[in-house]
Amino acid sequence: MQDEDQVGRDGFAFEGNWREYAPIAFTNLLLTIVTLGIYRFWATTRSRRYFWENTRFIDDHLEWTGKGFELFLGFVMALVLIGGPVLFLNFGVQALILHGHPLFAMLTALFAFLLLFYMVGLARFRAVRYRLGRTWWHGIRGGSEDSGLRYGVSYVWKTFVGSFLLGLLVPWSMMSLWNERWNAMSFGPHRFEAAGDYRNVFKRFLLFYLFPILVLIGSFVFGAVMVAMQSGAPQGEAPDPDSLVSQLAFVGMAIGIYAALGLIALAYYAKFFREAVDELSLADLNFHFYARTKDWVMLILVDILLVIGTLGIGAIFLDYRHWKFFITNLGATGSIDTDALTQSTTSLARHGEGLLDALDVGAF
Amino acid sequence: MEDFLLWHYDGKSATRRSVVPQTRDGGFVLADPESDWIGDPVAWSDLVVIRQQRGHSAYGHRDRPGWRIGFTGDAPPEFAALLPKNEHYGKWVDKIGLWPAVGTFATLAVVAIFVLFQSPQWLAPLVPQSWENNLGDAMIGDFGNRYCRTPESAAALQALVREIDPKGEARQVEIANIPMVNAITLPGGHILLFDGLVQAADSPDELAGVLGHELGHVRHRDSMAGLLRQIGVGLFLGGFGGEAGNTLSNLVTLSYGRKAEAAADGVAIERLEAADISPKATADFFAKLARKEGSNARVMSFLSSHPVSDDRRRRFETSVVAGRAYRSALTNEQWQAVRNACRDDPNVASPIRWVS
Ligand SMILES: [Zn+2]
Repeated sequence: MQDEDQVGRDGFAFEGNWREYAPIAFTNLLLTIVTLGIYRFWATTRSRRYFWENTRFIDDHLEWTGKGFELFLGFVMALVLIGGPVLFLNFGVQALILHGHPLFAMLTALFAFLLLFYMVGLARFRAVRYRLGRTWWHGIRGGSEDSGLRYGVSYVWKTFVGSFLLGLLVPWSMMSLWNERWNAMSFGPHRFEAAGDYRNVFKRFLLFYLFPILVLIGSFVFGAVMVAMQSGAPQGEAPDPDSLVSQLAFVGMAIGIYAALGLIALAYYAKFFREAVDELSLADLNFHFYARTKDWVMLILVDILLVIGTLGIGAIFLDYRHWKFFITNLGATGSIDTDALTQSTTSLARHGEGLLDALDVGAF
Repeated sequence: MEDFLLWHYDGKSATRRSVVPQTRDGGFVLADPESDWIGDPVAWSDLVVIRQQRGHSAYGHRDRPGWRIGFTGDAPPEFAALLPKNEHYGKWVDKIGLWPAVGTFATLAVVAIFVLFQSPQWLAPLVPQSWENNLGDAMIGDFGNRYCRTPESAAALQALVREIDPKGEARQVEIANIPMVNAITLPGGHILLFDGLVQAADSPDELAGVLGHELGHVRHRDSMAGLLRQIGVGLFLGGFGGEAGNTLSNLVTLSYGRKAEAAADGVAIERLEAADISPKATADFFAKLARKEGSNARVMSFLSSHPVSDDRRRRFETSVVAGRAYRSALTNEQWQAVRNACRDDPNVASPIRWVS
């Protein structure tokens, strides 16, 4: 009964195509521009509806029931709740400095920073909760009983501890936050269980410490090449540091450093995401994520080419590409008992992921 | 319609049922042909569209979360006619159509941008003066002890202020220990003449002209409007971090716009006239700054907030009454006291550069 080509690995499949999505993307862009950005909440909703309804899990498609208005409302609420205090603190700190209380100003600024950081953690939690609450499959939705207030505290102190020891604790901090977040989520009557182990991603994380050595070798080679070029120049001609060649070499090296750092980050993140999702389960379902570093690199490279090659317009397809990447690499094994998959009893938030939107951070 | 097979979830469990609809008054009930299961009645008006795409259709119930019916292909015409229509762009846009909506929104956007940039001028006069004073005082305090004051300079500055601002519209006029060629008006009627400007001036008449100009900003409440504009633009851009963080230092380089500057010049000329001080020196000051433009970064600060145009210079020049015997704004002793205020004040905090 199912078209075999369309079936992704282990139950998940993405059935959309970009030609079908293009009218949505372009009209979203147009309406967002003429409404000075306000339409983007409705644009997000339209895009997600398309992504979700073209995502099949086993025998039926997902549904997105979020509304543009609730995203808008959430954003306005966040603007008032955060914007007001931030504006006040800003003036407060400046006034304190001008009144000659720099220490007090610093403490106030630190407090504001911690509060904002807490908000980011809270926002991440609430965004996942919101998305699960608006995601339906077989007439059943997800959600969470947890308000995320405690997660916000964890986010602050775990991120802080993660920066200890030259950042060696970052993998622990990231994984433990991921687990804490997902262990609070549910779908239908079942809780998600997240048991990612940071020790499995630690080796990959050590690549970051290899980076300074790479840079050292790189600059050594760079220096050697420069010296060789200068000695090759005609006698008596002073080496010109502003020559096009050395400028190009310098730019090339800067790009190289940037690319190397990006590559390491991708390699780590690929491993992290595989481990995190592989250890995620829901009742008798075990989730998997198959994308390896080279898949992530391809994703990002094509993203870059797409955006540059279309002078930026291609950016409207990035969400589509990322969702497709996520779903085609996502799998689930085990079994699911639809009779036992009863309706979620979690309460639904009336407003969307406004906090996240206002703070401009990602959910996953 | 007895052979029209639908799939159905009741929203209580994920169990999928195959059902046929049986029409009732204003709606239908769902029945499982293979068992005696029968669902609660549903009114047509309770249906909402969940999905209508590539031959797959799904509908939900307004008041029953998770309740779904769906089918592949076309519904029988008598059924299809009563199903709700899909929402495309959102309720409002669908109602008037995409292109009329784009036109309407674009018009509204232009109006909104205009209002956003104009409203500070309309709103600033509505802010009670006492609020502005409290806000300005709270913001500035003693300016980190960066006012240059010696007994002589304070007396001299006071003499100048009495000439230019006899009604005391400015609540405070100070020389600030900042080596930039600039002067600013902050909310609450605080005028700060930067030491860099005092040093760049060749005569007290030039300083009098600048003071008159800043007095114009006080009178027209331009700094309050500027503050409102900054807050408005900051909120509009939705970024709390970057923009709002530099509110005060942005005020230094903020231009209040061509109209406000011209109006402030008008006040300057009026005050100079009343004080019997020649506007010629101020015109020369503009010319001097314009010549230095580009060569001196410190001058740029004044130029960025006060674009010196030929028109502005000429306006001061033409207001000079030929043959009139003008007086000097300050005596030579007074002028020297003002110029040496920052050097001779033992308590003033070291100079700061706000704008790098
Ligand atoms: Zn001005």
